[in-house]
Amino acid sequence: MSNHFQGHHLPIAGSKEEPLYALGARFETPEALVHAVDRLRDEGVSLYECLTPYPIHGLAEAMKLPKSILSLLVLGGGVSAVLIALSMQLIPSCIIYPLVVDGKPLNLLALPQYVPIVVALTLMIGAITAVTGMILLGGMPRWNNPMFAWDLFAKDASRGFFIAIEARDRKFSTSALTELLHELGAGDITAIHQEASEEK
Amino acid sequence: MSTPSIITAAETETPDLHVLERPPQVLNNRGPLWVTDAVCSIVEGKTPLWWYAAIAFTGTFAAIGGACILYMICTGVGVWGSNSPCFWAWDITNFIFWVSMAHAGSLISALLFLTRQKWSLSISRAAEAMTVFAIVCAGVYPAIHIGRVWFVWFLFPVPNSYGMWPNFLSPLLWDVFAVTSYLTVSSLFWFAGMIPDLAVLRDRATTKVRKFAYGIVSLGWLGTARQWRHYEMMYVLLAGLTSVLVVTVTTIVASDCATSVIPGWHATIFPFYFMVGAVYSGSAAILTLLLPLRLIYPQLRDLITPSQLDKVCKLLLMMGSCVAYVYVFELFNAWYSANPFERGAFWERFTGSCSWYAITCLSINLTVPQLFWFKAVRRCLPLVFILAILCNVGMWFERFMIVTSTLTHDFLPSSWGNFHPTIVDILTATGTLGIFFTLFLLFIRFVPIMSMNELKAVLPGTQPHAGAGHSNNSTEETH
Repeated sequence: MSNHFQGHHLPIAGSKEEPLYALGARFETPEALVHAVDRLRDEGVSLYECLTPYPIHGLAEAMKLPKSILSLLVLGGGVSAVLIALSMQLIPSCIIYPLVVDGKPLNLLALPQYVPIVVALTLMIGAITAVTGMILLGGMPRWNNPMFAWDLFAKDASRGFFIAIEARDRKFSTSALTELLHELGAGDITAIHQEASEEK
Repeated sequence: MSTPSIITAAETETPDLHVLERPPQVLNNRGPLWVTDAVCSIVEGKTPLWWYAAIAFTGTFAAIGGACILYMICTGVGVWGSNSPCFWAWDITNFIFWVSMAHAGSLISALLFLTRQKWSLSISRAAEAMTVFAIVCAGVYPAIHIGRVWFVWFLFPVPNSYGMWPNFLSPLLWDVFAVTSYLTVSSLFWFAGMIPDLAVLRDRATTKVRKFAYGIVSLGWLGTARQWRHYEMMYVLLAGLTSVLVVTVTTIVASDCATSVIPGWHATIFPFYFMVGAVYSGSAAILTLLLPLRLIYPQLRDLITPSQLDKVCKLLLMMGSCVAYVYVFELFNAWYSANPFERGAFWERFTGSCSWYAITCLSINLTVPQLFWFKAVRRCLPLVFILAILCNVGMWFERFMIVTSTLTHDFLPSSWGNFHPTIVDILTATGTLGIFFTLFLLFIRFVPIMSMNELKAVLPGTQPHAGAGHSNNSTEETH
């Protein structure tokens, strides 16, 4: 890819030799970030990401992000855990290997006594699903990320509210977006390039 | 915890109705950047000398405890004082003591999160850490008390050719599943809540080793809006699951005793008894851990505020009163049952040769928490610290009383007996204390002890205000 983006005056993060990844900018306040998201959406920009040190109320709504499907996954995990726990207890106890103690019944008459293990396993598998789901849905684990090339962000992300507009967005234009971000009150607008791969 | 009564104000239309202001989450108007610096500085600063001294001290106890466990495994459970008729003694006493202490941590972080009690945010991380470490200590005992530790896999339903299979109808097996899932879920809750804060430490790391280590554990967290969306959903889900789990685990542990027919154990109040006792001892343990921290790190004084500590004291008072109610109810029940064995068990508990531990337990647990009715006591932090330690001592004696005094006095006078701990019992118990405090010291030194992201999100002025076009109901809660 040609390096025709280098001609502009923006500070550059990462390696100039590598393709442009995104245009980064920093806002001082969460209000400014939410406002900027509104404007970007009006402009038809869709491939961008907001990076904040804590969850901002209303940001996801402004970005029109759908509700997290995590609750659905956890419901699935929980329901399958109930089935696993019941079959783990009932199939051996009633069919394969009945362990009769004091002549007590092992079939469904004893169902209340099977419940504690069902509850414990359901909660455990539900929690495992919730955490793994959050990690995978959030695109993790991913230890390298082009965003880390941008020192301002990577050194201390808690010092602001960042936005990164990806270069592969249909509406991407460095000059137009730089102007727009300036207008919206963004600072530290930076062209983020990928970092040079070490294998060279 | 007074909620401003907005509805009443609107209904009665009295314009000068005084609405109580919430006490600030963080004192002295500190901003989000100050919170980051204050919490990270504990991990990033030079390791203080007291830390080395403290970990050497607690580590020694932990090592001695480990040696005792090894000695017990090599020799047999005969090195403990547990003997007929008291086959359960300090092993189960300490197991119940530790697993109970764990509960308050989950309760504070999960149940108070679900009920939007924002005052608990700055102490929830430490409370969760306490939970995890207490379960580790609790988990030591069930594994070793079986005697032949190499057969511990018998506890789990592992298909095998020996014809060995667990009895799913036994509360002792429920325990295995309850404790396993409690350890898993509370560790996950603790770790997942820490990911964004570990990422902050990664970003701020100055050495390569730290950058690498925090980089690995923070899993590449960036804090994107999508990540936060899933993260917030996960946190609510985990808080819900953990809250249910806390109640389940105590109930199951209480069933170990309650489903037997031994006088003194066979009571339906046991799950409630264990639950309130658990939160009571856990709240006391949190105070015991947080007050010294606040003394050592002055920057935490703005984060762990007197008003928050006051609320923990009130929680302690409430749970202490519930515990007192159960004590009285238990005695009433024994008398009202008209069962000579039930009455005899309690009579023996308070007049027998080992009555001193029942008397210690009652005299502490009936009086010490009641002192927290007085504001002057709740505000005098050195006194709170001492009283909190006393509460924990009282709770240990309660567990000891429940387990041993009952087993040594059942139906057959010929099988009545006594329990005397051996030196191995004592050193193993102090060993678990050593393990607990060693883990807590490591926690202080290597991970952020407060949930920075949650704290920042509720500071005044850190959320877009109403009128920005995207405010929803949740923004109201931040003020």
